[in-house]
Amino acid sequence: MKKRKVISVILTGAMLASLAACGSGEASGSDKKNGKKVSKVDVTKEDKNTLSVYAWDKNFNIPALKAAEKAYQKKNPKFKLNIIEQSQSSDVETAITTAGSAGDFTTLPDIVLFQDHYFQKYVTDYPKAWVNLDKSDVQWADFGEEKLSYSTIKGKHYGVPVDNGTVVCAYRTDLLKECGYTIDDLTGVTWDKFIEIGEKVHKKTGKYLLSMDGAGNDLPYMMLQAEGVSQFKNGKVNLTKNDTVKKIIDKIVEMKQKDVLYLANDWSDYTDQTIIGDMVCGVMNGNWIIPTIKQVKKNEGKWAITSMPTLSGEEGYASNGGSSLYITSNCRKQDLAKDFLAYTFGGGEGKQMTYDKALEDGGVITTCISAGKSEVYNKGVKYFGDQPIYSKIVEMSAKVKVVEQSDFHYVCREQVAAAIQNIINGTSTDDALKDAEKQVKFAMDK
Amino acid sequence: MGSKTLSASYTGTKNMKNSKNHIKMRKKRTVTSKQHTAGWAFLTPATLFITIMSFYPMFQALITSFKTGSSADMVWSKPLFRNYTRMFSDDLFLRSVGNTFLYLIIEVPIMLIFAILLAQILNNRDIKFRGIFRTCVFLPCATSLVSYALIFKSLFATQGLINSILVKIGILHSNYNFLGTPSSAKVVIILALIWRWTGYNMVFYLAGLQNIEYSVYEAAKIDGANGWKTFWHITVPLLKPTIIMTFIMSINGTLQLFDESVNLTKGGPANTTITMSHYIYNNSFGQGVANFGYASAMSFFVFVLVAVLAAINLKVGDTRD
Repeated sequence: MKKRKVISVILTGAMLASLAACGSGEASGSDKKNGKKVSKVDVTKEDKNTLSVYAWDKNFNIPALKAAEKAYQKKNPKFKLNIIEQSQSSDVETAITTAGSAGDFTTLPDIVLFQDHYFQKYVTDYPKAWVNLDKSDVQWADFGEEKLSYSTIKGKHYGVPVDNGTVVCAYRTDLLKECGYTIDDLTGVTWDKFIEIGEKVHKKTGKYLLSMDGAGNDLPYMMLQAEGVSQFKNGKVNLTKNDTVKKIIDKIVEMKQKDVLYLANDWSDYTDQTIIGDMVCGVMNGNWIIPTIKQVKKNEGKWAITSMPTLSGEEGYASNGGSSLYITSNCRKQDLAKDFLAYTFGGGEGKQMTYDKALEDGGVITTCISAGKSEVYNKGVKYFGDQPIYSKIVEMSAKVKVVEQSDFHYVCREQVAAAIQNIINGTSTDDALKDAEKQVKFAMDK
Repeated sequence: MGSKTLSASYTGTKNMKNSKNHIKMRKKRTVTSKQHTAGWAFLTPATLFITIMSFYPMFQALITSFKTGSSADMVWSKPLFRNYTRMFSDDLFLRSVGNTFLYLIIEVPIMLIFAILLAQILNNRDIKFRGIFRTCVFLPCATSLVSYALIFKSLFATQGLINSILVKIGILHSNYNFLGTPSSAKVVIILALIWRWTGYNMVFYLAGLQNIEYSVYEAAKIDGANGWKTFWHITVPLLKPTIIMTFIMSINGTLQLFDESVNLTKGGPANTTITMSHYIYNNSFGQGVANFGYASAMSFFVFVLVAVLAAINLKVGDTRD
């Protein structure tokens, strides 16, 4: 009996010890990442040549920031950028919401990377969290107008663009050839022609010409922007009296019914099942989708990119997603921060070094027009049959039409996605849109 | 406690002259008062923590629920109960309430019946390897909510295991989009809930069954009661307190259902499977909305619902005459 007791005590002790070891192991792992604290920041303890910044993707925007740090060190050798990795973009939004709700911005870093579509809403909600960039040397004229429209509020610039959300339509040229088409047959076409080709492709190859996350409404938004139309008008939601919206939604439903379009249940289904699972002959999304396409190694050299179809058959250009860098009101070295941003991402002297390296290391494509003309940008990309896709994307980004933005962008997106689901399940277009408009209005009316 | 000390001190003064007795009395008084303070000392940390961590935020949430606007600069809503009246004209919120109750009404009875039957079976002394079976049934509870939801998601995916099996054995003609069709998505959520929580409730019933004397069953056997009769006339009445407790806990848990809705279906397709907690979350942190006033008001609605249902449950299950 006594022996048993002793054993149980020893076992319990061992368990506790192992638990404790687990705990401390984890803590040190997250605390000492890159030798810096990961989740917290205290700008008051930084030296005068250091800036801290929140970013979230170690394969995408963090290499871009590292490139900028290196470029700026040419001007200021002592300069250091303390990049604090967040697990996802919404962590940055939550950080602003928390700080703004508490009225205490001291928890924020000097600079944050922030999603473009959310920014307007966060300026409305937490105006004291941001610093505008009016007295900086950023070369605004060198950027695509559409990209800047997200970060400009009441004529004041707040953000410096980092990446580029310009939509690419990528198609499998080998499959198109099998069906008797080339990429030119899909450049500058109407949606009707697109559907015709798509039907043939599905019949012949079993693949879909297009796939999309059915819950996310990326597709109608991009299609609308290619027409130069917004889901909003004069600050109000504009769905039921918007003929373009109706036409586009009808086209989407038609595509779905004719097996031209595959609607995935959610985002991971969209990327993992349809794109990486090699179910599609075409992908249409912001160019940040390119790394996902590239994951299918066996299709190297078979892809090519072009512009979007439209209702009228002109070449369509749109933009989806993307982010910019913003200075927070907690920044104590605003001159340094502004100079850093202007010199690197903002089109200053260091822009070429920044953007070339950002493209090479992270696949980040610029919206800075002059930076897109470099050698690195004009290189052919092997995966896309040696097409110089990067310079083409920068070129396309300058042609994207500016459409009205709203604080309720994502609310509206989600409701339109729901409307499309309902139409596919049998509701009439008018009823579904009426319902969606009612929901968005409801959310806007606090 | 107070009157006892008082009487002790009173007797103390009365017997002032009898010093021996007096000392004894004094000592007694200090012991009781010592116990008194010790009690408070033990209570204080817990009371303080629960007040600061739980009651104060609840009170603040109540205040927030009467406010509106950006969380940086909230103002009183006009009229004061606007957030509360607003939710009853919110189609999406009403749908989330409907969904939650659908899950509740279908899932809780099925789960509890399963749990009680399993407990009864696994309480049988004649079954070999009872321990292993008990562990197996309880094991789902050891998995985290998120991971089990993700496993169910991959099982029921359009290209998932369930689809492959059903197509192979010829029940389905082609792959079915379980999570993309409103009705089947709800069924999947209910199945997932039953899988996850049956074992958990079974453990309570097992514990309850251990407290029932085996001799009662033996006596019933001698009297000629069959298995069903023993179950219905002995097990169920004696387990009543446990059944009520599991009912309340299940209702409470289902009304606050969140992980399954978020991870399995993301509330979709077209918000047809969204739960109340998920909708509340969407209103505070989703889509960049940060509508904390409205979200708090909805939370209080859920709070009232839980309280009312628990009260009804207690009343119905009250064994006192």
